[in-house]
Amino acid sequence: MNNPYVIETQELTKRFKQFEAVRSVSLRIFGGQITGFLGRNGAGKTTTIKMLLGITHPTSGSGTVLGHRIDIPKESVEMRKHVAYVGEDKQLYPYMTVEELIRFTKSFYTDWRPDLERQLLKRYELPPGRKIKSLSKGMRTKLALLVALARRPALLILDEPSEGLDPVSVEDLLQSLVRTASEGTAVFFSSHQIEEVERIADRISMIDQGKLVMDFSLDQFRMNYRRVILGFASQPPTAGSELFRMAGIDHVRADGRQITILSSHNAEAILEQARHCHAVSVDVQPITLREVFLEKVGADN
Amino acid sequence: MLWYKAWRESRTRFLFSVLAIAGLCAGLVLYNKDARAAFADKQLSYAEYIWRIVYHGGVRDIFVLSAVVLGLGGLLREREQKTAGFALALPISRWQWIVSRAAVGFAEVAVLSSLPALVLPAVSSFVHQTYPLSQALQFGLLWLVCGVLFFALGFFLSVVLAGEYVAGIVSLVSLVLYSLLVELPGMEKFLPDLYDVMSGAGMPYFRPQISSLSGPLPLALLATILLTAGAFVAITSSICARQDF
Repeated sequence: MNNPYVIETQELTKRFKQFEAVRSVSLRIFGGQITGFLGRNGAGKTTTIKMLLGITHPTSGSGTVLGHRIDIPKESVEMRKHVAYVGEDKQLYPYMTVEELIRFTKSFYTDWRPDLERQLLKRYELPPGRKIKSLSKGMRTKLALLVALARRPALLILDEPSEGLDPVSVEDLLQSLVRTASEGTAVFFSSHQIEEVERIADRISMIDQGKLVMDFSLDQFRMNYRRVILGFASQPPTAGSELFRMAGIDHVRADGRQITILSSHNAEAILEQARHCHAVSVDVQPITLREVFLEKVGADN
Repeated sequence: MLWYKAWRESRTRFLFSVLAIAGLCAGLVLYNKDARAAFADKQLSYAEYIWRIVYHGGVRDIFVLSAVVLGLGGLLREREQKTAGFALALPISRWQWIVSRAAVGFAEVAVLSSLPALVLPAVSSFVHQTYPLSQALQFGLLWLVCGVLFFALGFFLSVVLAGEYVAGIVSLVSLVLYSLLVELPGMEKFLPDLYDVMSGAGMPYFRPQISSLSGPLPLALLATILLTAGAFVAITSSICARQDF
């Protein structure tokens, strides 16, 4: 496949009557990586994922998943043969037993791997004869993961997979995701838990109020993202200043005579320009993902 | 496995309906002497009694209710129960979901409609009565065709109306309104009374003197009813294809 992206959207938009849940999102998710889809509750993560899977129809825009167009039902069915999905609620048919749900799910896939199924059943310690309605949320998540992973999908999409899980189950889950990615499956998972995203993701796409606000690799982030704090003796430069038009400035916050810049790269040149603008103090600090998230999301609100 | 799922989700409703219809048919035959005595017309023949109480009475109404209730459910209900995401992420088109559920429902309606034909002639011999199988089979065919339409109504409403019980309640209200509507004078020209089509009451293919079907069944009307049911399913499928879950 020439296309390096497993997911690609252009201006994807979803409107529910007056409310715009997703606004012109253009996503590019690489294959062979773990991508965290970070955003607050109600940011538009679930709606975006549902549009990718054909569960919800886009109001406008387009997209492909594994090269299949998401807005053409036939292509969407073809795509879903190679995509596994674990939804936010992890609700599975309560009247089925674990064994019945596995049997039901595997009937739709030609690439089902019984050896992997047995292995995962053992690893997750799922009781085959137990009704799903009597499973805990952690057990249900494991079962949802089992039916998603027992066939080595090309792409695994998870919506808030750790929601409602205890710390041990979260750890199990994260390890499963890392293991899955190491075996060649691209993983795209939404979360508002910054720490878990930071721990396992290779790339991060950040969404807020339906808009994609950031998209970067974590390595690139650690190497290049900096917080630049500038102090001025008198009135700081205004919005039209040369300083704020420099490459690498991702976000600017003014607080009296102090200006805080979030730079994605080019921090040294920004500092140089700041000195030209008569900054009396300059401070460059490394920044955590949590701080970037709060800076972007908090400020945009 | 889609069939299996459709069956699993409807089997409780179906089995209750089987029990109700078969149980009532058997009970009404076994205790026909006591039951017939309760009628004002003491000279009621056995065939007339069966017609009045099964094909033109409560058992028919239970069948209609069962057919509508069997049509309820589907993806909108799954959205309420939060399993729609799992279902729709499977490599299955929405059309396949609709068809599997409709096919299982039609099969269940077929079984329900044939229950009186299975029970009445067999149990009648226990009380030294006879009920002709040919009559029971013809009534069964009328019930099947009309039952399919009632099923399609429930099926359609459950895709249009969200909420655990909303579609069920609206279906029942629709049945009541329909019953009232077809009673209006002159309405028979525009809207067939499906209850009468099922029982034959007032129809040219029914002889009230012997409470039996005689003459050819209204095949054109039955075909129209089936086409209407098919149209309901097609519209349901088209609506479902456009819905967000």
